[in-house]
Amino acid sequence: MLKYIISLCLVFSFITASAQKEKKASVQDSIVYKKKYGLRVGADLSKLIIGARDANFSGLELVADYRLRKDFYLAGEIGFIEKTSEEDNYNFTTKGSYINLGININTFKNWLEMDNEIYYGARYGFSTFSQTLNSYTVFQQGTDTGDLSTAYFKPKTIEANEKFDSLSAHWISFVLGMKVETFKNLYLGASINFSKLLGASEPNNFKNLYIPGFNKVYATNSSVSFNYTISYRIPLYKK
Amino acid sequence: MKKYVFALFVALVGIYSCEIDDFCSLETTPRLIISFYDVEDPTEYKEVPLYAWANEMDSIYNAVIVDSIYIPLDPSANSITYKLSHTKEVDQIDFTYEVDDVFVSESCGFKSTFKNLKIVSNTNVWIQRIDISNAIIENETQAHVKIYH
Repeated sequence: MLKYIISLCLVFSFITASAQKEKKASVQDSIVYKKKYGLRVGADLSKLIIGARDANFSGLELVADYRLRKDFYLAGEIGFIEKTSEEDNYNFTTKGSYINLGININTFKNWLEMDNEIYYGARYGFSTFSQTLNSYTVFQQGTDTGDLSTAYFKPKTIEANEKFDSLSAHWISFVLGMKVETFKNLYLGASINFSKLLGASEPNNFKNLYIPGFNKVYATNSSVSFNYTISYRIPLYKK
Repeated sequence: MKKYVFALFVALVGIYSCEIDDFCSLETTPRLIISFYDVEDPTEYKEVPLYAWANEMDSIYNAVIVDSIYIPLDPSANSITYKLSHTKEVDQIDFTYEVDDVFVSESCGFKSTFKNLKIVSNTNVWIQRIDISNAIIENETQAHVKIYH
């Protein structure tokens, strides 16, 4: 009799054990991947590298962005540039600082724990700077060909050293860019800025041909600039 | 949307890395325009078989028959002497003027304009009378000096 009770108990335990296994399998597997929120700060590497290689350029740009929503960031850049432009007929130095503030909207669908971005965005930019006209050569056509090199008189070159101080400018830009998380919390980024000048104070008998943060000013008062950045995210919370 | 943004990004980086080349197509330093008129009929042009050169330099006009000439002024100085010859007869004109350097554009840079043009002295071998119709030389639209012969 006892043999039967023990066997029955054993069988019972198997049945209940297997029933438990089934119950476990029917629970939904739903792991949610949280996105990191925090302040991301970095620097523009291209300006540092160009500054080291080009004697006419020195500059520093710091970038930062802050995530408000899963795909929506507040972003900004702040920088300082001193650049000497040697053109065919004149030579000038621009020195000043700038700030860009705006938003980035991410369009890249990040899987699992990936945190990359392909984004578009906008910026409002502002700069204060000075221009110094170092020297210029008067453009005078020759008598027949119009070529400066066959000018009738010896070309007039003036070392003007004329400084235009306290100039300012502001603009809006459209930004396209991407950021890739290479190591944990470390991001490499690249972006292209299309900018349009809203207003600038112009020097007397000269022109703002380069504005820090805006880049070379073309005839249409627009410009293109790039930055290549490395940034680090200071994680605050996950959502 | 992601695909378009990325492709656009790559394409635009490529296009905008080229710099737009600008040539100077605007007016630059203007030349002095001298027109030749008939002394007996002051409204009529009178052509001259002309050589023209600045003192001690090469000829600008070399035996051409013209009724108006364009000659450059020296922006580095405040005076210039030009010699105009009617076939073999040479007349000399001494001009004085003031110079201003004006910024034109990004591709042209600076030009010089002239003002207060004066004739200090001139010879009268074939030239009978000289009038300054415009003492400000800012463009090349009209004659600045009229010579009657």
